[in-house]
Amino acid sequence: MGLVLVVALGVGARGKSGPLTEDQRVHRIASVIRCPTCRGLSAAQSDAPAAEAIRDEIRRRVQDGQTDGQIEDYLVSRYGDDILLDPRANGVGLLVWALPLLGGAAAVAGLVFVVRRNRVRPGRRRVTAADQALVEEALHG
Amino acid sequence: MSAVLGTAGVTLGLVASILGMITLALGLRRKNPGLLRAGQRYTWLVLAGGVVATIAMQYALLSHDFSLKYVADNGSRSTPLLYTVTTMWSALEGSILLWALVLSGYLAVMARHFRDRVTDPIVAWATLVALTVAAFFFGLMAGPANPFRLISGTIPTDGPGPNPLLQNHPLVAFHPPMLYLGYVGFTIPFAFALAALITGRVGEGWLVETRRWTLFAWGFLTVGIVLGAWWSYAVLGWGGYWAWDPVENASFLPWLTATAYVHSVMVQERRGMLRVWNLSLLVATFSLTILGTFLTRSGVLDSVHAFTESAVGPAILGFFALVVAVSIALIGWRGDLLRSPGSIDAPVSREGAFLANNVAFAAFAFVVLLGTVFPLLAEAVNGDQLSVGSPYFNKMTAPIGFTLLFLMAVAPALPWRKAAAETLHHRLLWPAWAGTLTVVACVLGGLRGLGPLLAFGLAAFAGAAAVRQLVLSTRAALRSGQPVWKGVLGRANGGMVVHIGVVVLAVGFAASSAYGHKAQFRLAPGQSARLAGHRVTYLGTSTVVHSNKTTTAARVRVDGGKVYEPALNQFPFGSQAIGTPSVKTGPLSDVYLTLVVTPDEQGVAVIGVNVQPLIAWLWTGGAIMGFGTFLAAWPGGRRRRRVKAAAPERTTGAQDAAVPEPAVAR
Repeated sequence: MGLVLVVALGVGARGKSGPLTEDQRVHRIASVIRCPTCRGLSAAQSDAPAAEAIRDEIRRRVQDGQTDGQIEDYLVSRYGDDILLDPRANGVGLLVWALPLLGGAAAVAGLVFVVRRNRVRPGRRRVTAADQALVEEALHG
Repeated sequence: MSAVLGTAGVTLGLVASILGMITLALGLRRKNPGLLRAGQRYTWLVLAGGVVATIAMQYALLSHDFSLKYVADNGSRSTPLLYTVTTMWSALEGSILLWALVLSGYLAVMARHFRDRVTDPIVAWATLVALTVAAFFFGLMAGPANPFRLISGTIPTDGPGPNPLLQNHPLVAFHPPMLYLGYVGFTIPFAFALAALITGRVGEGWLVETRRWTLFAWGFLTVGIVLGAWWSYAVLGWGGYWAWDPVENASFLPWLTATAYVHSVMVQERRGMLRVWNLSLLVATFSLTILGTFLTRSGVLDSVHAFTESAVGPAILGFFALVVAVSIALIGWRGDLLRSPGSIDAPVSREGAFLANNVAFAAFAFVVLLGTVFPLLAEAVNGDQLSVGSPYFNKMTAPIGFTLLFLMAVAPALPWRKAAAETLHHRLLWPAWAGTLTVVACVLGGLRGLGPLLAFGLAAFAGAAAVRQLVLSTRAALRSGQPVWKGVLGRANGGMVVHIGVVVLAVGFAASSAYGHKAQFRLAPGQSARLAGHRVTYLGTSTVVHSNKTTTAARVRVDGGKVYEPALNQFPFGSQAIGTPSVKTGPLSDVYLTLVVTPDEQGVAVIGVNVQPLIAWLWTGGAIMGFGTFLAAWPGGRRRRRVKAAAPERTTGAQDAAVPEPAVAR
């Protein structure tokens, strides 16, 4: 079963081959750009004129052969850092990415510690033959 | 007239809360049963206050009494009846009134439920805590958020009506009340938690008392959140239903901690462990509902929901701080009593799985909370302007979601204390195959992408595990001569129904987010466009003038069949046109139509088309979750059935884990 699963997921995850189309690239970049007039939605999601203007700008730059990074840099220089829905992992923005990872690691470590401590807790009584006999008696007697 | 009546109601609620608190405090101090009994009776006066104030507000709205500032700001003669009624929760002051009404209702039900135990200190303390919360909310209305404030100057003859988005869909009559029933419902378990800490009776008794209260609150909150997503889908017009908007997150946060709680509470009932943790989860849930109110209602965050800005922010934030501080102090004070007698024997066990579940939910809540308040914190610390939006939340929460789906599949099969490999193999084999074959079928069917495939596989795994439990429990019910439906009643079985709802919802979420298509088409009448196998034909537009709005509706035929009418509405006082999407919904996919731009001189309109699979599964999943909660809260039968039904499926090969099948005995 494990093998079947791995093969299926392997095939499924590779996806349709070939480079992204222009539309897909525009959509991918626009989905991390905030729509400036509609808070909460990305430029890919919103139909607002401002979102449409950003999508057009992205498309123009994609056609010019710019990379995703260059286009994001341009949008940040034009609108400011808060145009990115994914805060950049530098400065204060690093915290929003690092804290959950640190917290998660600490939680898992804590979980392991709790389980371990309970397992090797000294003085834990083993079940003796006498206990077993009592239980048997209680159950069947 | 309504102002006088409303103010009287609010004052009655406030005074009765405070007098009740004082009476109960005196009664507890002097151990005087008469005073305790009298203190309980004040809850009925609080209810009366809430009801009178609500009647006054509804009367003012329906009679268009524009001498009230609230009605003048939010009411309108042209608003249809339904939305005039819902105007009560369309802005800050009225929402607080709804909150107070729901809370006073819960208080009265609580007083009635525990009427034979009014002299029990834990009940008296719990009532006192709940009355304190009521005093706060009535106090808000008496002070900064007064819904019955009179207008200064001349009385207008008409008002602007509620926010256009809040008079565009009937769901606005259901989503907020459901949500509030959920939010406010957690006050009762919270009150009992504090009462347990104060009286020192931190054993398992108070948990059992509040179990059903918690379940109901959880169920209402779940349904409320799903209805909110549905409202967002049906009204906002961008084709989505969940934007990780701060206000959506504010309702999701208490849900996360409450969900952790309804699971971990079983560990405490069964093994006496996790006492501090459970108390903390309840406190977190309650305080997050208050924090949510602060985020929603103080205008501190910009969002589609921040319809109101007000001066109550500091008051709510102060109350939040008070709740947290008092709770932490009490938990610290009772620390020695809270040391748990039990311990975890093995990580691969039911309690181990619940522990992992709790870590996952806590991590989930942490990520959502951090992402929601991070822009505020960053700005406060060094003035940085940052946004944290859906890409962040999707990235960070997806692994947690997968973990939770996996645990949902495995946990019901795990016995308490310790699991033998054989047992697990036997119990998980066919659910695991169900998951694997689902992935294979999806890949063969042409679906691609690791995320959605994992989600479908894990969902099938978890769904099959839940179905297996239900089959076993109904079989056990039949064998012991009970009707079939007994097999889906009770906490564990109802819980499995809830799990199936979660699975259905998760599949809908994964499919609609991964395989959606979105496009805009410029179409002249008679022209068609194709998207994702669907054909849309634009037929023309028509304009209708309603009492409260002017609607321009496009007629669009979908797949050569029915005609749908996405529209743009112009409200007299709103500058921006508000869209009304029109959706062809189906079990497999939704075609979501919007009118983006009304026709130009040549008659060419811009039609937005969104094709997303399995959207209907979201609402269905939510409904199943609500129904499952109802089954789980079904009274009686638990203890009785346990003995009888324990026999059929005994675990093999593990003497020390001869625990009966979980679905049969809890």
